[in-house]
Amino acid sequence: MSTKAAGQEFIKGLWDENPVFRQLLGLCPTLAVTGAVINGLAMGLATTFVLIFSSLVVSSIKKLIPSQVRIASYIVIIATFVTVADRFLAAFFPPISKSLGPYIPLIVVNCIILGRQEAYSSKNTVGRSLMDALGMSAGFVLALLILSAIREILGAGTFFGYQVMGAWFEPWIIMILPPGAFITLGILLALALQIERRTKSRK
Amino acid sequence: MKLSTRMVVVLTSIGLLSGSFLATVGHLTKERIALNKQREIEEAIIQVVPGTVSSQRLYEERDLSVYGGKNEEGNLVGFAIHASGIGFQDKITLMLGTNTSLERTNRLAILDQKETPGLGAKITDRDSFLKYWENRDCSGTISLRKPAVSAAEKLLPSEINTITGATISSEAVLSIVNSSLEQVREIIKEGKLSSEAQDVN
Repeated sequence: MSTKAAGQEFIKGLWDENPVFRQLLGLCPTLAVTGAVINGLAMGLATTFVLIFSSLVVSSIKKLIPSQVRIASYIVIIATFVTVADRFLAAFFPPISKSLGPYIPLIVVNCIILGRQEAYSSKNTVGRSLMDALGMSAGFVLALLILSAIREILGAGTFFGYQVMGAWFEPWIIMILPPGAFITLGILLALALQIERRTKSRK
Repeated sequence: MKLSTRMVVVLTSIGLLSGSFLATVGHLTKERIALNKQREIEEAIIQVVPGTVSSQRLYEERDLSVYGGKNEEGNLVGFAIHASGIGFQDKITLMLGTNTSLERTNRLAILDQKETPGLGAKITDRDSFLKYWENRDCSGTISLRKPAVSAAEKLLPSEINTITGATISSEAVLSIVNSSLEQVREIIKEGKLSSEAQDVN
C-alpha cells in the first residue's frame, strides 16, 4: 500500500465519509453525551480504541470466520474491547466513567463500529483497515468535539469546565438538555450538506 | 472441515479467547475500582462529618449504610448516613452527616444524581440548596419551606428552603433524608449498629 493510498483511507473518514456528518451513523452517543466537551472527548476516545482494535482483529482473522457467523463473531470481538474500555475508565478515570454511565457499554451497538467491520475490515488488509479505523475515529471525535463545544459554551458558558463567557451571559439551559442536541446536530447537518453542495457545484 | 463444525469451532474459540482476555482485565482492574469507590465514600464522610479522621461502617443494607466518623482520639464525632432513593429522573445518592445523637444535621452531600441540568441539578449547589441543610434540627421530620424564603433566619430549625422550579428534586432529597433517618433510629433501637457505636449512644 502506498503512502498516498494510506493517507486517502485516513482522510476520507474526516470529511467525505465522516461517520456523523456524512453517513449519519453513531448518532445515539453523538446526541447523548455531548453536553460537555470532556464527555464528548472521552466517548470519542473510547470509541476510537474499540474501533481500532476491533478492525485490527477482524481484518487479521477474516479468512477464518465463516460468513454465516461473521456478525456474531464481530459482536463478540467488539464487546470484548468495549468491556476493556469500560473497566479501564472505571479504574483510572472514575468521574468520567460515572458521567458517561451506560453509554460506554452501549458502544457495543454503535453502528459505526459494526458498520466498518462489515463494510471494510472484513474485505481489506490489516494495514488498510487500520488506516480506515483511524480516519473514521478521527472523524467521529471531530464531530463530537464540535457538537459538545457548541453545546457546552452556549448551555453552560464553559469550555472544558473553564468559564469562557462573561458574567453577562445567561446559559441557554436547553442546549445541555436533549433538545439542544437535536437542534445543534440539525444545524450542523444542514451546514455540512450546504458545504458539500457548494464544493460539488464548483467542480 | 464441514461448514457447521467450522462455525462452531470458530465461534467457540473466539468466545474462549475473549472470555479469558476479559477475565485477566477484570482481575487487573478489580482492586482499583473497589478502591475508587471506597475513597469516594471516605471523602464524603470527611466532608459531612467535620473533624473526622477515620471512619468505619456500622451498618449496611440495600440503599442504606451508616458510617461512624471518629476524631484523632478515636471518639465518635458523628454519623454519616449513605442513602439513595428515587429522584425526578434517576436515583439520587447522598451522604448526610449528623451528630452522635441523630438530633442535628452537620452537612449534606449529593454523591450521584441525574436531575435536570440547571434546575433539579441545583441540589448539588451549596448556595441554592446544600447550605440550608447545615445544622438543622432532625430530631423529628424535616420539612420543606415552599415558597422559599430569602432570609435563612426565617426558616424553622427543622425547615429547608425549596429550590424554586425544582420542587420534585427538593422533595426527593427530603424524603430520602427523612426515611433514612427514621430507618437509622429504628436500627439503633433494635441494637443492630455495631457495638462501639452503641456505647456512645
